Amino acid sequence: MRVAVFLGLTIVGALGATAAAWVGAPPAVLSGCLVLAFLGLACAAGAAAVGLHAPDDLREPRAPLGPTADSPLPPESVVSRPVFGRLWLGALGAFALAGLVPLISLARKPGRRVITGWRAGVRLVDENNVPVTRDRLVDGSIETVFPQGGVGLAEAAAVLIRVDPELLRVAGEGGAAAGGYVAFSKICTHAGCPVALYRHASHELYCPCHQSRFDVLHGAKNISGPAPRPLPQLALDVDAQGYLIARGDYDAPVGPDDWDRPA
Amino acid sequence: MIVRGTVRWVDERLGTNAPLRHLLAKIYPDHWSFYLGEFALYFFMTLVGTGVWLTFAYDPSAQGAYPAVLALTDRAHPIGYVIRQVHHWAAVCFVAAILVHLGRIFFTGAFRRPREINWMIGFTMLALASFTGFTGYSLPNDLLSGTGLRISESIALSLPLIGRWAASVFNGGDSYPGPQLFAHLYTLHVYYLPVILGALIGLHLTILILQKHTQFERDPANVVGRRFWPDYALRTLAVFGATLAGLALLATLVEINPVEAFGPYQPWIAANGSVPDWYTAFLEGALRLGPATEIHIFGHPIPPVFWPGVVLPAIAFVILFLWPFIEKRLTRDDATHDVLDAPTQVPWRMAVGAAFIFEGLLLTLAAADDQTAYTLHLRLETLVWAYRILFLIGPLIVGAIAFAIARERRSRIEESTRYPSEVTTLVRNAEGGFDEEEPQPA
Repeated sequence: MRVAVFLGLTIVGALGATAAAWVGAPPAVLSGCLVLAFLGLACAAGAAAVGLHAPDDLREPRAPLGPTADSPLPPESVVSRPVFGRLWLGALGAFALAGLVPLISLARKPGRRVITGWRAGVRLVDENNVPVTRDRLVDGSIETVFPQGGVGLAEAAAVLIRVDPELLRVAGEGGAAAGGYVAFSKICTHAGCPVALYRHASHELYCPCHQSRFDVLHGAKNISGPAPRPLPQLALDVDAQGYLIARGDYDAPVGPDDWDRPA
Repeated sequence: MIVRGTVRWVDERLGTNAPLRHLLAKIYPDHWSFYLGEFALYFFMTLVGTGVWLTFAYDPSAQGAYPAVLALTDRAHPIGYVIRQVHHWAAVCFVAAILVHLGRIFFTGAFRRPREINWMIGFTMLALASFTGFTGYSLPNDLLSGTGLRISESIALSLPLIGRWAASVFNGGDSYPGPQLFAHLYTLHVYYLPVILGALIGLHLTILILQKHTQFERDPANVVGRRFWPDYALRTLAVFGATLAGLALLATLVEINPVEAFGPYQPWIAANGSVPDWYTAFLEGALRLGPATEIHIFGHPIPPVFWPGVVLPAIAFVILFLWPFIEKRLTRDDATHDVLDAPTQVPWRMAVGAAFIFEGLLLTLAAADDQTAYTLHLRLETLVWAYRILFLIGPLIVGAIAFAIARERRSRIEESTRYPSEVTTLVRNAEGGFDEEEPQPA
């Protein structure tokens, strides 16, 4: 009797779900009907199981595992002589070795291209490809910049920061030429996350992924967290029209290190 | 009537009735903890069912992935919305169910001879399920998962000698993000990994049937329990219904992975407070606690992510994967064990398990260290150092406490079996006097 009621719930729920999906009701109505349907099924099966009053102490002997009188090991034969065994293994090993070659060839080029797009004289542009002028930022603000023609290049993104030139001079950095502007690779040297946050009060760049901190006044030196080296710096200049330009590529490889990175 | 007819039709052609009758009459021991693996099985079945539907809604290209998944977050189209929600909820529950099931196997000693193979298969499935989950939640190419992919690429890149090769396999090209990254992830997620998982589940269950189930009843010569048909079959059907009802309820109440709120992935954007799905969070935590030191071998750098991202999980995997053999070495016990231990019966195993759980929880907690430091008004560096110290000494302390508790409990049980309780029950008789009641056999 109880089983019948629960199965009725299942039918109602399933039909309700069908109707809800058909008319495009809110998702919660559809999934709510499914809750009803499956809950009904669970309760029906549970009630039926309890209703059986079946014994829970039935016994079935465990047969011993391993070779027995009924199932002895196969008799020794010619193929199982040690010398053959070794040859079989050798053949198998040779096949395995041959199989490795196509596996390795799957990686088309074991090289790695990191295209930053920065060259001497290239203008800095923002995400909308608008060139950055020398009066773009106020002191203490930041902007994500790309080389002109390279907006969206994963390894190109740089963070441009304007700080008080006096502070940079005290720190011994040559950024004053660009009026207090400094630019660093936005790709963290730890695990490649974008170093997206800037703390104006302490002049620190901060990676939201693993909390590495970089001191902007001292060449984005890694001062805390798991990053192993400073963020690569982009030397800046101002061209005749007043736009910020790069003096060359980054001063160090972009992104996380690997075995083949030149030291 | 139709069923009977069909069974007979098949039997007349394939001779299936004799083995089928044998299977249906099999005895399964009954204990609540034996259903944990079944939950995992039903989560997997749900994942396959909903996943097949989702393959028709998805576009495995870097440009098309996000819009395709975004369409599934539109509440005006409830079918896609509910299927994706149930799929993601089932994925996080699947890994959890496997982990809890493995915990049951570990603490009751069910991995001992002859079940070492099934332990290794089960543990492999935990790793595969996590990896399948990771490839799956990376498919939407949203800001959260894209950042995770970038971090994973740096872990592949950190491998000594083969780092660039591994990264180029991962990327499907020699730069990040590679042109075939999503085609690779998609093929892995919808084909290779689920097919391997399905095959391993089949193997796992076949071995279970061949070896018969473990049990708590102290009768090593017999399996003691319920018959599969119809008793156990109804119970497992109830578990199936409960699993799906639970998933539908979660999908109704809580929206999981709201990619419409995260936005599409851009390599130069990251959000604060990003944490991955729970089963990969321990790796994220390990990366946060790892040292910044980069050592050089013959002039080649070993990036710092190598230690927490590769070495640590590899050590944990090897120890747990080979645990049946490690325990065998330590105890010199290679006898067949079909009767389970109570978890507290072997205090040092309890200690090892508790230490592993502690490390997992600590690293998972460390994945949210920035939010924790912010909420508790701590310096992040202070918290990181506290976690690092806890990572080293915590397992020893937790292991010692677990050992002490288990030993205390075991000695109490031993005492109560050696010296049965002196308490007797008096029953008043018809004459107004008292009789001692017959003690109930334990």
